[in-house]
Amino acid sequence: MTDLLLSQVKSVGESLIGTDEYVVNMGPQHPATHGVLRLVVKLDGETVKETIPVLGYLHRSIEKISENRTFPQCITYTDRVDYVSAMSVNLAFALATERLMGIEAPARAQWLRMIFVELQRLASHLLWMGAFAGDIGALTPFLYGLRERERILDLFEMTCGQRLTYNYIRIGGVMIDVLPEFMPKCRAFLDYFEPKIDEYEGLLTYNPIFLQRTKGVGVISPEVGINSGICGPSLRGSGVSCDVRKQQPYLYYDQVKFNECIESAGDCWSRYKVRMNEMRESVSIIRQCMDRLEPGPIEAKMPPVIKAPVGSEIYSRIESSRGEMGVHLVGDGTAKPWKVKYRCASFSNLYLLDELTRGWKVADIMAVLGSLDMIVPEVDR
Amino acid sequence: MGMLKYFKDIFGGLWNLSVGLSITTKYFFKGTTTQQYPEERLPLPARSRSMIKLIYDDEKDQFNCVACLMCAKACPNSCIKLEGVRQADGKRRMTTFKLDFSTCIFCGYCVEACGFDALTFVSEEYENSVYKRGSLLQDEFAMKWIRPHVEGAEQPVAEAPAPAAAGAQS
Amino acid sequence: MLTGENIVQLVSGLLHWAYAQAGISSWAGIIDPIIAAVVMFGFISVFVMFLVWMERKVSAHMQSRIGPNRVGPFGLLQTVADAIKLTTKEDVKPVNRDKIPYFLAPIVAFVATFMGMVVIPFDKGMVVQDLNVGILYIIAITGFTVIAILAAGWSSNNKYALLGGFRSAAQIISYEVPLVLSVVPIIMITGTLSLSGIVEYQKTAGYWFIFPQIFAFLIFITSATAEANRAPFDIPEAESELIGGFHTEYSGVKFAMFFLGEYIAVVVSSAVAVTLFLGGWLPVAFLGFLHLPGFVWFLAKLLLIIYLIMAFRWTFPRLRVDQLMDFGWKVLIPISILNILITAIVWLCLYGKGAQ
Repeated sequence: MTDLLLSQVKSVGESLIGTDEYVVNMGPQHPATHGVLRLVVKLDGETVKETIPVLGYLHRSIEKISENRTFPQCITYTDRVDYVSAMSVNLAFALATERLMGIEAPARAQWLRMIFVELQRLASHLLWMGAFAGDIGALTPFLYGLRERERILDLFEMTCGQRLTYNYIRIGGVMIDVLPEFMPKCRAFLDYFEPKIDEYEGLLTYNPIFLQRTKGVGVISPEVGINSGICGPSLRGSGVSCDVRKQQPYLYYDQVKFNECIESAGDCWSRYKVRMNEMRESVSIIRQCMDRLEPGPIEAKMPPVIKAPVGSEIYSRIESSRGEMGVHLVGDGTAKPWKVKYRCASFSNLYLLDELTRGWKVADIMAVLGSLDMIVPEVDR
Repeated sequence: MGMLKYFKDIFGGLWNLSVGLSITTKYFFKGTTTQQYPEERLPLPARSRSMIKLIYDDEKDQFNCVACLMCAKACPNSCIKLEGVRQADGKRRMTTFKLDFSTCIFCGYCVEACGFDALTFVSEEYENSVYKRGSLLQDEFAMKWIRPHVEGAEQPVAEAPAPAAAGAQS
Repeated sequence: MLTGENIVQLVSGLLHWAYAQAGISSWAGIIDPIIAAVVMFGFISVFVMFLVWMERKVSAHMQSRIGPNRVGPFGLLQTVADAIKLTTKEDVKPVNRDKIPYFLAPIVAFVATFMGMVVIPFDKGMVVQDLNVGILYIIAITGFTVIAILAAGWSSNNKYALLGGFRSAAQIISYEVPLVLSVVPIIMITGTLSLSGIVEYQKTAGYWFIFPQIFAFLIFITSATAEANRAPFDIPEAESELIGGFHTEYSGVKFAMFFLGEYIAVVVSSAVAVTLFLGGWLPVAFLGFLHLPGFVWFLAKLLLIIYLIMAFRWTFPRLRVDQLMDFGWKVLIPISILNILITAIVWLCLYGKGAQ
């Protein structure tokens, strides 16, 4: 009798003063999300119960369109797959086609490719730093990052003519040789930039507010990381060695000395530190490449029309700024690929957002999303 | 001891906060890096892929273009439509040339594919916004460009020819 | 010599002559404060517009860019343009709002912060009304903003605005405690609550209170930025948060009042900080030969403190709401209580009981 009464009292009490969860939409247009990403967030008060990313707002059918374009024409579309680090995607596709057909680019082209891809890594990490700090609330590092990025884009514009969609790294080599003034300008930039990394670290890394917002937040344990397929700096922040440049070296990465940046804590702060250290390593790699550059041809001897052999198939991976960028290429004997698929780091990294933010506060969603360095064009292609 | 860590945290935090403040204050007194656009127009680098122009040879009073259609085949988006005729002396010449800049992605394949020095990028012209989208479909009159003659300098050649594989279809 | 005292005497002499001419000398006691208040109101309104421009310029130069520089010389008329834009905006009101609190909330927020300026001495004798409970009055007035924010959040009929209002209100009331506690040692030392009296004490003592009370100064500045809902404590109104804050449903002039109210709160807190810790209208010791009037020094110090508060906004990331409350209760309050204890002990040791 008392049990029944008690349960009735309990249910009445719950209906009177119970709190229910509500669903909030961090819509596609939002000052913080890194592009048109929609997050449907189920909240209980301030605590996140579930985060559901809704994708597809930036889908441009790049992979399908590429099936109707010749291999060199596909390179123009790779710029748009990840417009923040377009050189890396150019390289991914060019390397995939070269491996498919057994072509090797000449030495000067390989060194030049390395220089440009590492410069691109710097540019991408600078933009990431700005966006991450902006999500956390510090609005100034964004402007500082963009200021340095402008110098890198000036270097790119001087060489290939564009600041964002380069179409520079071609199948068999690069588009055009660098101007004579490129080398001194690049060295001057590197000398100017290297102390700036320390300055930006002084602004953020040990700032007590930044530490409170990022230490211990969004911890990815190594097992969870490997099992869910994340890659790149996000996984290296958890102590797992996963740099494609070290494990399956492409271009001449086995001939330059650089450290793989690994931190062991697995929280947002570690991922931030990994990327700041990667910037330093990139500067060192560029310097080594510039020292080893010899005059020579910049493009390999290639057939007039690039055709992939019938039944050929390859999955080729490189380390882009965000992680592993893979290209799955299937050839059918014609000048157009049968199938192109881009395996993008942001798409697989986004999966963990839900798991990492359950039980945390709303403000942590932005911190975690920023630390995963997620770019929507990569997610949606 | 917890008490000691508490005070160490506070003083350490204060120190790091003031380091951050010193950086922003330093930049407050340094100059700005803004280009005041309409008044200051800095020239773009020579290789900038700004605007595509058809080169008109004013000595021979004709466009260099021979309507070989390599640019139209090279274009990923099929922006170029052109026609040509074989003239009485056996040479082909272009009669109409249309480039739809609303679909052009400025990849530069047309300029690279042209073997007759007919197309070029003109880096000085980068303010190309229009009020009507139809104005972006430019024909050979809108795209006519005469290479400026520099006294005593040799005429610039087209950029080192990219391999024929660039953009060519089967 | 041009000093604030001379100016005040000149103006009041003129006014009393005018009253005598008009035959209303007996009303002088009532009209004088009204005129002083109107002058203060006008000055502060213009000053706040200047501050909005200053914030944009300061933030721009910190970020290596130029701020507004097209509207008027150096962009000085930018705020005028913004004000015109805000006043001509459509006043969008939610249909199911609670009409009276919705209407009153921005007004209370604006007026309450203004009332704090009444006791701030710009120079010796240049106050609207030199209450002998000056500091107590200011601390009491800052409580009004809580009511305004809660009213705004509640009356908007929007659960997000309500939540934002709760968070703002919780933040403000929890940071009022360190604000008050950091001021207590100064009151203990000077023995007076009147702001002019505190500045006079600093004059006779020969040192400004920032030197012995550096921690009180830092705690005061931190609590003042939290009171004004400014970064790094601006989670309730942050742009990258989904919850828009208590002023989500306000547009046009009403929003402008909240926005300007925030700046006036900054001005009031900075003015109090200058008066309590930096010697008010007293000249910097080694620059006394310049013979500048006191209010020039006051304005210079005020702009310095306001620059500091702006630098906080553009340098530091934001604190999460629970970290904010943690910081206020677990760091600021213990330190300020410790400060009071140490001040009292040191004073007793140095000067014995009952000395001032």
